[in-house]
Amino acid sequence: MIEVSGLTKIYAEGEAETRALNGLDFSIQEGDFVSIMGPSGSGKSTLLHVLSFLDRPTHGSYLFLGKDINKLSNVELAEVRNQEMGFIFQSFNLLGRSTVYENIELPLLYSPMPVHKRKRAITEAIESVGLGEKMYTEAGKLSGGQKQRVAIARALVNEPAIIFADEPTGNLDSVSGEQVMDILKILNEHGRTIILVTHETYTAEYGKRLLKLRDGLLESDTQIEKRNTESYFK
Amino acid sequence: MRIRDASRTAWKGIMNAKMRSFLTMLGIVIGTGSVILLMSIGGSAEKLILSEVESVGSNLIFILPGSTKGSKFASPAALLGIVIKTLNEKDITDLRREPAFKYVTAEVRGQAKIIKGSNDSTITFTGNDNQYFAVRNFDFYKGSAFSQSDLTSFNKVVVLGYSIAETLFPNGEDPVGQIVRLKDINFRVVGVLTKQGLGPFGVDEDQLVSVPVTVAQKLMLGINYFNAVTVQVKDEYATDFAKGRITSLLRSNHRITDPNKDDFTVQTQEDFIAILGNVTGILTIFLTAIAGISLVVGGIGIMNIMLVSVVERTREIGLRKALGAHNKDIVLQFLIEAITLTIIGGIIGIVVGIGFAGIAYFVIKVVLQTGWAFSLPLSGIVVSLVVAIITGLVFGIYPARQAAKKNPIEALRYE
Repeated sequence: MIEVSGLTKIYAEGEAETRALNGLDFSIQEGDFVSIMGPSGSGKSTLLHVLSFLDRPTHGSYLFLGKDINKLSNVELAEVRNQEMGFIFQSFNLLGRSTVYENIELPLLYSPMPVHKRKRAITEAIESVGLGEKMYTEAGKLSGGQKQRVAIARALVNEPAIIFADEPTGNLDSVSGEQVMDILKILNEHGRTIILVTHETYTAEYGKRLLKLRDGLLESDTQIEKRNTESYFK
Repeated sequence: MRIRDASRTAWKGIMNAKMRSFLTMLGIVIGTGSVILLMSIGGSAEKLILSEVESVGSNLIFILPGSTKGSKFASPAALLGIVIKTLNEKDITDLRREPAFKYVTAEVRGQAKIIKGSNDSTITFTGNDNQYFAVRNFDFYKGSAFSQSDLTSFNKVVVLGYSIAETLFPNGEDPVGQIVRLKDINFRVVGVLTKQGLGPFGVDEDQLVSVPVTVAQKLMLGINYFNAVTVQVKDEYATDFAKGRITSLLRSNHRITDPNKDDFTVQTQEDFIAILGNVTGILTIFLTAIAGISLVVGGIGIMNIMLVSVVERTREIGLRKALGAHNKDIVLQFLIEAITLTIIGGIIGIVVGIGFAGIAYFVIKVVLQTGWAFSLPLSGIVVSLVVAIITGLVFGIYPARQAAKKNPIEALRYE
């Protein structure tokens, strides 16, 4: 699904040059659950931005579902983000004054899905995160955990091939964090590919595979052993 | 993005900040409102002036001594205070022989003090013939006009306007039959006019002091020419035809062969209406342009607030772009928001403008008792709305493009 080779990202500011990514090579198969870890400045956020088509690499190649990021226009990148990718952010990024329904509808406003199919898709997405009764509540009035579940529903509504989660438990208490990670785990068990960026080991261990970054380089690439997750949040 | 979705999104943006949206609109409301108000008042003023010109009497042609030297809109010399002595008794006699004319009335003017006991007033008196009152459609409150024999016998009689009669006879006594002094001559009052109000060209008809033209010429002014002649054309004759007859008659009387050397000016009511229409038209355009400036200021207000709004909603813009919005979707959203604000502002402005025009109508018509007519130029409403929409487009496009230019990664990080 994802083929990365020689992936390099250089930020140039005047004379100074920062190599956020310094020649990464790896691939990710469909149905995988990959956790990316690393200290601040290791390049994990930059990697997530490039993988999710929000940013372009300076050098190297990146194929997503056979599509070469270097050969797509900005409009085409936006279309791939809209139709093939789902996003979950640390700070939820919901529109606080809009209802749960309207928030989940957001990606559909920019998708080719016919209008009459929207309601069904949104309802299914809300019910899959267990917030059916909050459909017409203003998003700003929900608890942190509920907000992140709405964000997951929003990420799912377009039936994407992959979900990118950037520190999804970073703003949550342990109980809510566990609920969110359980949902991601179930989604993965149903075949959805998930890429998770986190700095918490116990969150990372929900995944099947762990990529550790340091100074823009791949420090390690290991399979995570199956474990009982219950103990981590309690 | 579908237009319906973009409109819904823009509407949500407006409703999420109601107070700010209202304040943003206010400039457009005031701008559109003043355009409508001023166009309405301009239209009413034009109607009023035209009806005043028509109220002078119908089918009238005015002859003034002196030429306008080819310019249609220049004042004849006589109106500028230059004494020209070319209109004489023979001209009047000959004009009266024309079968096309119902009345021909000649006039002279002079300044004098009019005195009754301890009351006096400095006025412009006019010397008229007895046809004058019929031509001008004047009604008498008391007494009547002077007669043909008053003219031929040089009788010292006078007709007074309503308010000058009140000035001279403040205690309510009947002026008719009383003696007033004018230029040290005793005149007997024979008639008082009903209230006329302001006449055409701002002349206060209630200050009229009218004596027989013969008396004015021979006994008071010592002249043998006239200051103005008014001709009323019979209904069955066209004024253009009458104008031609007057011109050729006066040219032959004054031995003028070159039309550029006319020593008189013939003006019909249509000529006056054309001149006044021009003046009020220019005035309306001028006032509307001033009001238009406030629309532009309103537009700048919209741009200002939209720019603030774009900065405030940086994260939202970043999110939308991350979730698949194209630049044109973002432009569309903010542009529709700006245009919606200006359209709503424009509509409110039109309603407010009509409301104020109604209040102005009430004050001018009912309180000040004038012949003010309500006027609402439909073109003004259409133009205001179109201008409001264009204002939204012009001043909305820059903030919208600023919004679309945002980098989604930086926008999402924005605190």
